Amino acid sequence: MSNERERAYFKRYKEDVETRGKPFYPYAMFHDTVMSLVVVSVIVGLACVWYFTSGEEAGDAGILGPRYTEEADPGTTSFIPRPDWYFYFLFYLLRIFKWPESVVLGTVGIPTIALILLVMLPFLDRRRERRIVRRPVAVVAALLVIASMGILTYKGATAEESLASENVELVDEWVQVQGLSEDGRQGAELFAQSGCQSCHTYLDSGSANLGAPDLSEIGAAGQSPEELAAYIANPAEFGNQVMPAYADLGEENLRLLGTFLSESKGEGGGG
Amino acid sequence: MARTRSRRRHQLERAVTYPLDWLEERSGLVGAVKYFLFRKVPHDTNWFHTLGSATLTAFIVQLVTGVILAFYYKPSPDEAYASIQMITNDLTLGWLVRGMHRWGASVFIILLFLHMGRVFLFGAYKYPRELNWLLGVLLLVLAMLEGFTGYLLPWDQTSYWATVVGINLNATAPFAGPFLSDFLRGGQEIGTETLSRFYSLHMLLIPGGLIGLITLHVYLVIRLGVTSPPWSSDPAGMERTEVVTARRGLVEPRSRGNGPTGVRGRPQL
Repeated sequence: MSNERERAYFKRYKEDVETRGKPFYPYAMFHDTVMSLVVVSVIVGLACVWYFTSGEEAGDAGILGPRYTEEADPGTTSFIPRPDWYFYFLFYLLRIFKWPESVVLGTVGIPTIALILLVMLPFLDRRRERRIVRRPVAVVAALLVIASMGILTYKGATAEESLASENVELVDEWVQVQGLSEDGRQGAELFAQSGCQSCHTYLDSGSANLGAPDLSEIGAAGQSPEELAAYIANPAEFGNQVMPAYADLGEENLRLLGTFLSESKGEGGGG
Repeated sequence: MARTRSRRRHQLERAVTYPLDWLEERSGLVGAVKYFLFRKVPHDTNWFHTLGSATLTAFIVQLVTGVILAFYYKPSPDEAYASIQMITNDLTLGWLVRGMHRWGASVFIILLFLHMGRVFLFGAYKYPRELNWLLGVLLLVLAMLEGFTGYLLPWDQTSYWATVVGINLNATAPFAGPFLSDFLRGGQEIGTETLSRFYSLHMLLIPGGLIGLITLHVYLVIRLGVTSPPWSSDPAGMERTEVVTARRGLVEPRSRGNGPTGVRGRPQL
């Protein structure tokens, strides 16, 4: 596409607008004003529904969620790491790529490529054509992007949460399958209550998130309780940047968790 | 009687026009506003073209409610949660301000995407508007960052742990990742330093950037004008022969390919 033709087009555009256009005020401005009033009304409406259907108690959710959850506490660990809804599509990407080999594709790789493509769009598509039926590649690409972002957002929104109350009931079963000691049993209870299973699966319970591995056979490799406890206390030291540090649990709890994990050798290796 | 009335009227007119003339003579602002209001836009401009100004409206809602929230919010881990509770439950209409800020953020993001989709559909990122598309992408990224930094401020479990994971995910990026995470965290753990940083980014740096870029964005829209809808039978800027054939609906203008510029066999993108 030669520059000259582009310039000729824009010159013609300016002439057309000047001779056959309409003034911004009042025509376009009327539309803009109505639309802005609609936007403000929708925001006020959402705020009202959010407030009047929820209660003062922390976590007392209405139609649009709670006003706030419990106060932030680095010591408790029964959390569900959830971003605001418009990050769900990025969040769910991490379930597709497994830690540690490929998770960087989900956290950085694909978002970066998408952003570069978005930035480059006007330089990749340099034709003057604007009619939709004449831009099949652009339209298909747009539909694919909308569909994939929609699906990822939906999957992220409906992803199963692991509930501590349900997991605790499974501890007896784990003791039998894995042949856990008394310390191992206490560690298992901590494991079930502390929100570990928001990201880790264990013997078909919990939800896999952020690329965290299944821990049913974590002890099969022969790591000692002390090694595992040190890892949980500060995963970053072992090159795991995603998992939060759990040093706040205290030494005794970490020891119990380490024992539980080192005794978890999978369904085949019980005892 | 009639004479005094017309004299009063003259005085009144002078009272209005004098300050305007004074301002115009010294700044040219009145002329600029007149140009903005009475400039011509394509005759087929329609409701789709309101998405940009709707997004701006949502942003202004965020600015106003954000300033009010900053009157009462306390950005320290000891007080943040209590101040959010106070704003929501005790302050007169505080729930409305916080609710509007919270949900306005979602509306802002949705409108950004819709606006972007409209621009894509209309092919409005093409010459000479490439630069404005770039500014738009930058605005989208900044808006998402504004969402990320604002999410921590209520200092409840949801916001705290979402931010822990968010910062950890940052750290997986090669080279800059760990550095960026340390910078955001302001230390080993998420605490006072982190909250101060997120507050500052959320209140000063990112909104400042957004305001500057939006100003540029709108300036370019006024300078370059908006694109006619792609389905228009008489879009501004179309070659005359194309307009005639398109109006008659006899021949697809592009497939003729024998206009004055000899357009033929374009690659399809």
